[in-house]
Amino acid sequence: MTGPWFEQGQSGRIRLHVMPTKRFKTYQFTLYAGVPLSDADVTRTALLPFVLRRGTAATPETRAFRERLDDLYGAGFGFDVMKRGDSHVIVFQLEVLQDRFARGAGESLLAAGMRLLGEVVTQPALENGAFLPNYVDTEKTTVRKRLEAIVNDKIRYAAERCIEEMCAGEAYRLNALGKIEDLPRLTPETLHAYYAEWLKRASFDLYVTGDTTLDEASALAAESFRLPDGAPGTYPKPADCGSAGEVKTVVERMDVTQGKLNMGLRIGVRYADDDYPAALMYNGILGAFPHSKLFINVRERASLAYYAASRYDGHKGILTIQSGIEIANFERASAIIREQLDAMARGDISELELSQTRAMITGQLRELRDSAPEMIAFHFNGVLSGRSRDADELIRQIEAVTRDDIVRVAERVKLDMIYFLRDGKEE
Amino acid sequence: MEERHYPDVDETVVREKLPNGLEVHVLPKAGCSKTYAVFATRYGSVDNRFAVNGEEIRVPDGIAHFLEHKMFEEPDGDIFAKFAKQGASANAFTSFDRTVYLFTAAGQIPENLETLLDFVQRPYFTDENVEKEKGIIEQEINMYRDNPDWQVYFGLIGALYQRHPVRIDIAGTAESIRRIDKETLYRCYETFYHPSNMTLVVAGGADPEDVIRLVRENQAKKSFAPAPEISRLFDAEPPEVGSPRVERELPVSLPKCMIGFKETDLVRDADGLMRREAATKLMFEALIGPSSELYQSLYDDQLISDSFGSEYNCTPEYAFSVIGGETRDPDALLARIREAIERAKAEGLDPARFERAKRKRIGALLRMLDRPESAANEYLRWNLRGGNLFRLPELYRDIGIGEAEERLRAHFDWNRMAVSIVRSRKA
Repeated sequence: MTGPWFEQGQSGRIRLHVMPTKRFKTYQFTLYAGVPLSDADVTRTALLPFVLRRGTAATPETRAFRERLDDLYGAGFGFDVMKRGDSHVIVFQLEVLQDRFARGAGESLLAAGMRLLGEVVTQPALENGAFLPNYVDTEKTTVRKRLEAIVNDKIRYAAERCIEEMCAGEAYRLNALGKIEDLPRLTPETLHAYYAEWLKRASFDLYVTGDTTLDEASALAAESFRLPDGAPGTYPKPADCGSAGEVKTVVERMDVTQGKLNMGLRIGVRYADDDYPAALMYNGILGAFPHSKLFINVRERASLAYYAASRYDGHKGILTIQSGIEIANFERASAIIREQLDAMARGDISELELSQTRAMITGQLRELRDSAPEMIAFHFNGVLSGRSRDADELIRQIEAVTRDDIVRVAERVKLDMIYFLRDGKEE
Repeated sequence: MEERHYPDVDETVVREKLPNGLEVHVLPKAGCSKTYAVFATRYGSVDNRFAVNGEEIRVPDGIAHFLEHKMFEEPDGDIFAKFAKQGASANAFTSFDRTVYLFTAAGQIPENLETLLDFVQRPYFTDENVEKEKGIIEQEINMYRDNPDWQVYFGLIGALYQRHPVRIDIAGTAESIRRIDKETLYRCYETFYHPSNMTLVVAGGADPEDVIRLVRENQAKKSFAPAPEISRLFDAEPPEVGSPRVERELPVSLPKCMIGFKETDLVRDADGLMRREAATKLMFEALIGPSSELYQSLYDDQLISDSFGSEYNCTPEYAFSVIGGETRDPDALLARIREAIERAKAEGLDPARFERAKRKRIGALLRMLDRPESAANEYLRWNLRGGNLFRLPELYRDIGIGEAEERLRAHFDWNRMAVSIVRSRKA
């Protein structure tokens, strides 16, 4: 890849990915920690980052911990918990200024940032060998409120319900934030015992970008992260799960003005597959862009929706379609969307659609290198799937995709699920 | 062409004002693959009554946003298709006081810049294409009707303001957009899209001289009528709020509550606006930022969640703050905030917290500048009001605690406060 890329290292159980560059004003730290997504662990894994972000052994008070972030010239600190394929991944992100902007800060912000992140993940605030009861209680409430709040955003709610129904027999139906009914059982002690096990089981990948070197970052990581001994974990190859074979339809009623029509499809092509670039092209032509078939036909030609788009999840091999429509137009919109799927399968794809989509996808890949967080996320896709491609390689592969390749992907696409959120409470 | 470097933020601006009045600003980012361009007019949802060369006109609510949608249509098709062929992602948005057209691309920058300038400077409205857009925008309005965050926000502004059009929804209503026709669209276009009312900001890898030369030549080929003399007409806004409390019903997991204060002593000049915004935001950070005592105690008592935050909008015509998020008990939240504000008014702000707030805001600004899109958008926002984003660090350093405390006492006037709540229908 043109420009800087990641240098690989290792520090105990952590795989290190360091990009030395002076291009940015900030150092970016991202830590991914993944375990298999499972019914048994989903809630306690989800709760962990919420508790860990409250304070560390050195700064157990949340306010003091946040003041520490402010003192690092307003460091940006965030976390997320996401499902990727068959994995459940906790992400911590820290963004601090490069030392040249932090005059009078004393210690290097690189070192201070690494130490802070290491503390959050491996040296949490404890009391009698367990997490602080007050933090566990409050964060259980926070997770519960977040799960309950999904319904507030109808676009997101419809998307999650569609996946939940479609993957009813798989771990993938689970929300990355866990299950409300599991929360009451978790205590400061049981959660801490799980945390100790999680530290031994999880696959850790630490990314650092900025004005540093692999040696310097490795030394700082070794000092800052106190993990159990062992070699880095690996991500398993995702299991294959075929289509249900028949289309399931779920209609849900709620007090809404606009109907949300979502569809779930199995595409059967994953990130590590040779057909992944063709699947990206399939999704691009179908619905990822404003020139795509869904936008043109559902919105521009039929004026049925403000948004109509598709999204491809290359880790799970699933494609989803989402649109917001007038409730009375359910049949019409469904028919138009299915016509677009049929057109894809027939290879009814113009030269213009091919060239536009190729230009858009390769353009996005070229833009990656302007953003450290995006390069990190892109590289981690390779780690997670077991097949690394750099952006230049993927660009070349996209450029080589033919209409036949896309039709081959289209033949594997199976519609599994139609989900419609509409008005009126069910009696 | 004028070039200026700002060592505080390590940013450079190359700018030129063209003979037709268009301002061009280039923010070069060495080593950047992508270029991000924003082309904006000082024309937004509040401009619904104006006089051009002495003749007064009142236009339907939501017309600036409608116009934004219609600009994407060309006699030879949709402009998204053209951008897609050139590998560029294009978009646009309308806010209270501006309409912004943008693209991001990693190649074909001259072609994409020409496309951006040309499509925004070439309106094409027909009776038919105007009619067709109404269905799409009605679905956009319906989408926002179901969005509780949007509803609680516009509920608040509608409560704070009695007459100023900042209170109307940016997209208008299904009823108001039905009254929009192509003649009125052309009228608005000719009034507000004159180059003298517009600014182009380009950030990223493109060479500043090449960009400015291209724009200069592009504009020289076009002819424009003399700049119209625009007076924006606003009814005098009474100092009192329209309604101290408004409630709406939508299905939500917890009530959403926003508290707003309307500024009655408005600042008109650019420097004054910048300073007021900076001082007020520092005051908010010190008083209710995530590391404040108030924030943490509200969180511990489960009166707020991570969604809690504040914002401050400050223009020559209207200025207001918004504080809030989801809460189990809006009245308890309000009482606690009121008590903390009264205490701060009496005792002043904590000097250590105030210094931290300064560091934090300067750090956050520098971090934001690593993202060319955010940098260009914020630069543009300040530029349209006559200010300069890159002067913010010196301003932050210069503002003393006394000035922030003055803001605290002037801003939080309980007679200028309104509360907006969205909650579920009672069972």
